[in-house]
Amino acid sequence: MNIIYFVVQNSFLFIVPLMIVALGGMFSERSGVINIALEGIMIIGAFFGIFFIRLFSGTMPDQVLIIVAMLVSITMGVIYSLFHAYASINMKANQTISGTALNLFAAAFTIYTAKVLVGAKQIDFKNTFRIAKVPLLGDIPVIGDFFFKNTYLFTYIGLALLLLSSYVLFKTRFGLRLRACGEHPQAADAAGINVTRMRYAGVMISGALAGLGGLVLIVPITTNFSGDVLGYGFLALAVLIFGQWKPSNIFFAAVFFGVTSTISNVASIIPFLAVLKLPSAVYKILPYLATLVVLTFTSKKSAAPKAAGEPYDQGKR
Amino acid sequence: MKKILAVLSILLVVMSLSACAPKKATYEIAMITDKGDIDDKSFNQGAWEGVKKYAEDNKKTYKYYKPTEISTAAYVAAIDLAVSGGAKIVVTPGFLFEPAILVVQEKYPNVKFVLLDGFPNNQIYTADYKEKITSNTYSIFYREEQSGFLAGYAAVKEGFTSLGFMGGMAVPAVVRFGYGFLQGAEYAAIELGLTSVNVKYFYTGDFADTPANQQKAAAWYAAGVEVIFAAGGKVGNSVMSAAAAAGKKVIGVDVDQSAESPTVISSATKGLGASVILALDSFYKNKFPGGTKVSLGADVNGIGLPQNFAKFTKFNKAAYDAIFAKLVSNSIDLKDNADAATADLLGLTKVIVTLEN
Repeated sequence: MNIIYFVVQNSFLFIVPLMIVALGGMFSERSGVINIALEGIMIIGAFFGIFFIRLFSGTMPDQVLIIVAMLVSITMGVIYSLFHAYASINMKANQTISGTALNLFAAAFTIYTAKVLVGAKQIDFKNTFRIAKVPLLGDIPVIGDFFFKNTYLFTYIGLALLLLSSYVLFKTRFGLRLRACGEHPQAADAAGINVTRMRYAGVMISGALAGLGGLVLIVPITTNFSGDVLGYGFLALAVLIFGQWKPSNIFFAAVFFGVTSTISNVASIIPFLAVLKLPSAVYKILPYLATLVVLTFTSKKSAAPKAAGEPYDQGKR
Repeated sequence: MKKILAVLSILLVVMSLSACAPKKATYEIAMITDKGDIDDKSFNQGAWEGVKKYAEDNKKTYKYYKPTEISTAAYVAAIDLAVSGGAKIVVTPGFLFEPAILVVQEKYPNVKFVLLDGFPNNQIYTADYKEKITSNTYSIFYREEQSGFLAGYAAVKEGFTSLGFMGGMAVPAVVRFGYGFLQGAEYAAIELGLTSVNVKYFYTGDFADTPANQQKAAAWYAAGVEVIFAAGGKVGNSVMSAAAAAGKKVIGVDVDQSAESPTVISSATKGLGASVILALDSFYKNKFPGGTKVSLGADVNGIGLPQNFAKFTKFNKAAYDAIFAKLVSNSIDLKDNADAATADLLGLTKVIVTLEN
């Protein structure tokens, strides 16, 4: 039983950042802008968040510090995503190229800036944010062991963001307009919606979530940040597609990726899996194989927003 | 407006070109970085500190070059750049430089090369294998198995009986660290009369701090492992992160990593900086030992643990000095990567090795 708790607790280290970033990508693409700059935005978000933690570690309570650091990451993510928004919305640039440029720039920028600021590529930080047990909730049998022990504040923030995203996208006027701009911007425009403004909103939300996701990914897994989020921005894109641009499906896709990845790493201590002696590569392949299979069967009725990737052209019919 | 901008930008380009054209600075001592940077707190940094210290103490010009990618072609290009920048001696830290040095040692017979952790060869391990060292190349190896031995010995002497070894890529140096670690644990177990010591053994296949490596370490700690010897650059940072969460211990690698995390109780170091300084010194004294290969061990202080045992409760300096003296006198026969294909074939009796994949 302890091992099952362990696997679940650890899976969140994968699930939460993947889900947050994929939700960010969803908002952008639903508004009609493909955002493959997620990786770069994550790097920027992680960089400023971690740097903030390094500067202010010990000056305020840990959980307050992580909240402020998350706000820093979100802010910087939004600012960085504005470049993508400006290029792809105002300048009608190719969105793939703009996104690639941001990815390349982010990695170089963080290394350069880190060298100027701290004299080294790596930014050391102290991870003092782990919550061994949530008061009261952690005492609930079973559920407490699964969800309220050995955890981080951002696990709950991530789950809250999932519910919020679903509500905003499907139950608010803003969500409806955003989706309209991603499906048929000309129609949305004719109905009096400001397409430019909606697309800016979509990209900025994706910047906020990707920036946050970068910090959430890095904090639990290392003791210094060296300008790399290990391709998780691209993995989040896979989660987004696997999740067919819907918050609930994105959640399940992230859970699937997270649990299989975790199992691949910890299989050796799970008794019934250890007996099988399968190479860990087998488990690692699973989520990607599943993505391929799912895409094979769903690509015909793929739920991708119709206008995603196309600059809005008022004259086009 | 556009014309003004165009003129301005042309002016800017012309000015920046003319600014750097007249004087061409040269750098006598060059280092090419391997994977990672000069501040990786591990292999490259150790070598770079040696270069820097020697150059500053002796007023030599020095510079490091970072290859554009991890490939022999890029390494050769970086060395070309260093030579055209006036390098007289080039330090290349790492096994991955072997094929590049095989090429450049003949291309630049008047430039000296110091190859750490490697011997010039083409790294094609078939009938086409080719190795050659010319008189301008000095190949330095370290007896990592001795360093790992000390780490394993210290861990078991400290009272740990459930250990882990998490190496990076299974390159010879990493394998030697791992084998030494196991044999050190075995040696201490026999001394203490223990019936068994369990060691989980794994190569991550990278030198990175990834969620995968963090989870692997966390899983080991959850399964009862008390201390993990992390021999793989930034893999160590993931292990330290997991150790902090689990309240367990880590043994660092290459250089003293105790400043990186309070979980690091000791580090299996090799004297990268010191050996680079010696090589540079011999070069400037016209005694460059080109064409030779050395393996630096305990006898020349080429390896060891840092002289701070404050984080141990049972193991101490006296015990360390005693075992170190045995390594110096070569009275312990250690197997290295050439003697066993996998870690479970070392013929250990007390140490139970669990290989993971």
